[in-house]
Amino acid sequence: MTDGDYDYLIKLLALGDSGVGKTTFLYRYTDNKFNPKFITTVGIDFREKRVIYNSRGPNGSSGKAFKVHLQLWDTAGQERFRSLTTAFFRDAMGFLLMFDLTSQQSFLNVRNWMSQLQANAYCENPDIVLLGNKADLSDQREVNERQARDLADKYGIPYFETSAATGQNVDKAVETLLDLIMKRMEQCVDKTQVSDTANGGSSGKLDSAKPEEKRCAC
Amino acid sequence: MSEAMDLSFLSEAEREVILQVLQRDEELRKAEEKRIRRLKNELLEIRRKGAKRGSQRYSERTCARCQQSLGRVSPKANTCRGCNHLVCRDCRSYSVNSTWRCKVCTKEAELKKTTGDWFYDQRVNRFANRLGSDLVRMSLRRKPPANKRETVGQTLLQQAQPSEPKDSTVAEQKSPQERQKEPSMPPEALDPRDGRSDTESMENMSLDGYRPHVSSRRNSLEKTVTFQEGKQRPGPVGTKGSTLPIPSRSRDAHLSGSESEARVGSPGAASADENETVFKKNPKRILRPSEYTKSVIDLRPEDVGSESGSLGDRSKSVPGLNTEVEEEEDIDNLVEIHRRRTARGSMRSGTSSSTLGSMVSIYSEAGDYGNICVTGEIAFSLSYEHTTQTLFIHVKECRQLAYADEAKKRSNPYVKTYLLPDTSRQGKRKTTIKRNSINPLYNEMLKYEINKSLLLSRILQFSVWHHDRFGRNTFLGEAEIPMGSWNFESQLEECLPLHGKDGAGSQQYRGELVVSMKYIPSSKHPGGNGKKGKGQEGGELQVWIKEAKNLIAAKSGGTSDSFVKGYLLPLRNKATKRKTPVMKKTLNPHYNHTFVYNGISPEDLQHICLELTVWDREPLSSNDFLGGVRLGVGNGMSKDQVVDWMDSTGEEVSLWQKMRQFPGSWAEGTLQLRSTMAKPRP
Repeated sequence: MTDGDYDYLIKLLALGDSGVGKTTFLYRYTDNKFNPKFITTVGIDFREKRVIYNSRGPNGSSGKAFKVHLQLWDTAGQERFRSLTTAFFRDAMGFLLMFDLTSQQSFLNVRNWMSQLQANAYCENPDIVLLGNKADLSDQREVNERQARDLADKYGIPYFETSAATGQNVDKAVETLLDLIMKRMEQCVDKTQVSDTANGGSSGKLDSAKPEEKRCAC
Repeated sequence: MSEAMDLSFLSEAEREVILQVLQRDEELRKAEEKRIRRLKNELLEIRRKGAKRGSQRYSERTCARCQQSLGRVSPKANTCRGCNHLVCRDCRSYSVNSTWRCKVCTKEAELKKTTGDWFYDQRVNRFANRLGSDLVRMSLRRKPPANKRETVGQTLLQQAQPSEPKDSTVAEQKSPQERQKEPSMPPEALDPRDGRSDTESMENMSLDGYRPHVSSRRNSLEKTVTFQEGKQRPGPVGTKGSTLPIPSRSRDAHLSGSESEARVGSPGAASADENETVFKKNPKRILRPSEYTKSVIDLRPEDVGSESGSLGDRSKSVPGLNTEVEEEEDIDNLVEIHRRRTARGSMRSGTSSSTLGSMVSIYSEAGDYGNICVTGEIAFSLSYEHTTQTLFIHVKECRQLAYADEAKKRSNPYVKTYLLPDTSRQGKRKTTIKRNSINPLYNEMLKYEINKSLLLSRILQFSVWHHDRFGRNTFLGEAEIPMGSWNFESQLEECLPLHGKDGAGSQQYRGELVVSMKYIPSSKHPGGNGKKGKGQEGGELQVWIKEAKNLIAAKSGGTSDSFVKGYLLPLRNKATKRKTPVMKKTLNPHYNHTFVYNGISPEDLQHICLELTVWDREPLSSNDFLGGVRLGVGNGMSKDQVVDWMDSTGEEVSLWQKMRQFPGSWAEGTLQLRSTMAKPRP
């Protein structure tokens, strides 16, 4: 895994209240498995996954494919680890901010997490996706989609309802975040006037060794 | 964030779990570092092929990359929008929207992405000013090679690892206030580098994959940490009562500049000897942002710190000069390293408040290098124990050492080791002294607790000294082993010949540089060197780097792969940076390369200074500084400002003046290379 045979090392970090399913989500994403048991994360952990990112030109023509090594940091949601976990915020390039659709409180805390991010991430407006997890437990739902989407819109970040149990939107959420990061990266480099445009356009697409599928262009 | 480092709330078991995570992270990080190094080397390859970098007007009718003649081309359509060079079709990379850049610019941008620099640069900008946290303070102490890429995980891991020297733990426990009182923080460390933009990371593509980050981001990150802005800290009791004022970085940036400018070489300093007792008075380890190099880790020696007020940083702390930042072999860093490594006798003292004391006390190397003709060899074996993270150095014996006192045929030798670049007291190990023997048998074990990855970035240095009870200790020879290439599997006895100091002091002979210079005023632009001056303001300065003679050997095998780098001060940046190609495996390289600077008016010549430095190219680590010169009027002034770099002397000045006197004709000179760019040669 860590042979250095990749083009980009992208570090993501999952955060959110304890028990919203960060670990399970990441486990689903990296190993495509579901573990219903709740094992609280001790401080921090990470998982890795290698994906292929296809850069695309504005016209949708497929560009170069890059090997991206994802380091997915998992953080403890528990308060007692807070000082440790927030310290890791600064090392991540993008964030999976997660709450539990069956817990109103975890949703309310999203604001707190946002401000934690703003204070501790590498910049004030890092790339974030908001994830309402446990979408499969529809009968226990406490947060409706409208609410969540409004909040995401307020922050100007994408929102997905995910389920680590079914795998719903799991890949898509990570891919969206990765895409945001890759775009930001292009912009950063462009800004410096030494931009590299050879590596393709502003839009990219990711597939993890699966056949390509069109992503929504929004 | 400061709490982040306080892991006391964790249980033992939790700590273990987290440590394992961090260890995994370290593996990933190492692979990443390797990858980045590889990438940056690729860039260098590409870059080297294009000789016209930086000098935009240099032989315009050829492609800046492949040097093919371009014939009649429209400049507009054929100029790379990255570097503004004319570039032929073959040397371009087109993007999807059919714009293009030259291959070097393309590669640079690509690297910025693939190395994650786009991210690290922003991150550092963000935290530069307010990481007054334990987190960073801790990280100050054991700077891993990773520099700006340092992550929290890394920091924590190091904190948890037993590799750190005991002393630093003590230092850690001190309150911030206490620590702030500590001395030896070079004012320059507070130089206002943090105002930089992302662009500079482009500059940081370096000959080695590492150092540049250090030079830029890390210091900005750290320097704010240990020191309160705007306060002057009294020196410690231990260091001969010296004080070192620390001007605030932002508010007093100019102050820090002028202050350091005021420094002059201190003649007395070089007489410091290897006096242990002085050391011992110096009770505390000094925390200092390790802005110099990846390899300057926690145990930054006191001397280095106080000495580190070198020219480069100073010029950067002159307001307005730090807009663009040095790429690659940042001279300041390298001069630092170099100086630490070699020119141990060269010291400086502040004027208002001297740093001399603390420096003198430190320079344990500054013994008597005398006129001993170094002979003999040292026999030893090395082993590394992973469980305890300890390097064991078994010093077996020395053979055929020189006599410290030739007349009495006496030597009382002992062996001292450092893991360079750490030459602090904590990093020193010594054997016992063997009386009256030039074939001393030691069979002693010297130990370093150090984590392996860190160790691999170090150089083990043996030096052999004659102990003189009444006078100075006398240097009997030394030998170095880069740990990165050592085979720790083999624990066989090794034998290395001792050699002399390659740079014992600032006066050391470093060879010469043969340079020819011509200034062409704008009116009569004959178009020297196959180029046409294009109705520019001011004249043109041409610097023909002909050759160097008798360079010191930086590489094993007694050679150097050298190149010359030029800056036109006060601008120490990309705009004035010029480099010759690397001349491999020779100590007498013929560069025959011309640097051209445009837009220079005759009166500019009074205020600018051409700095030429010779470097040994070391692709995977820091380039080694071989020597340098500064050409200018040498009056210490530029545009009514006192500047430290206008320090040319002797032939340097006369050559410059000769060139000014006869515009349009070549003035040639053979210039003695300085062994340090820190101050005028005495």
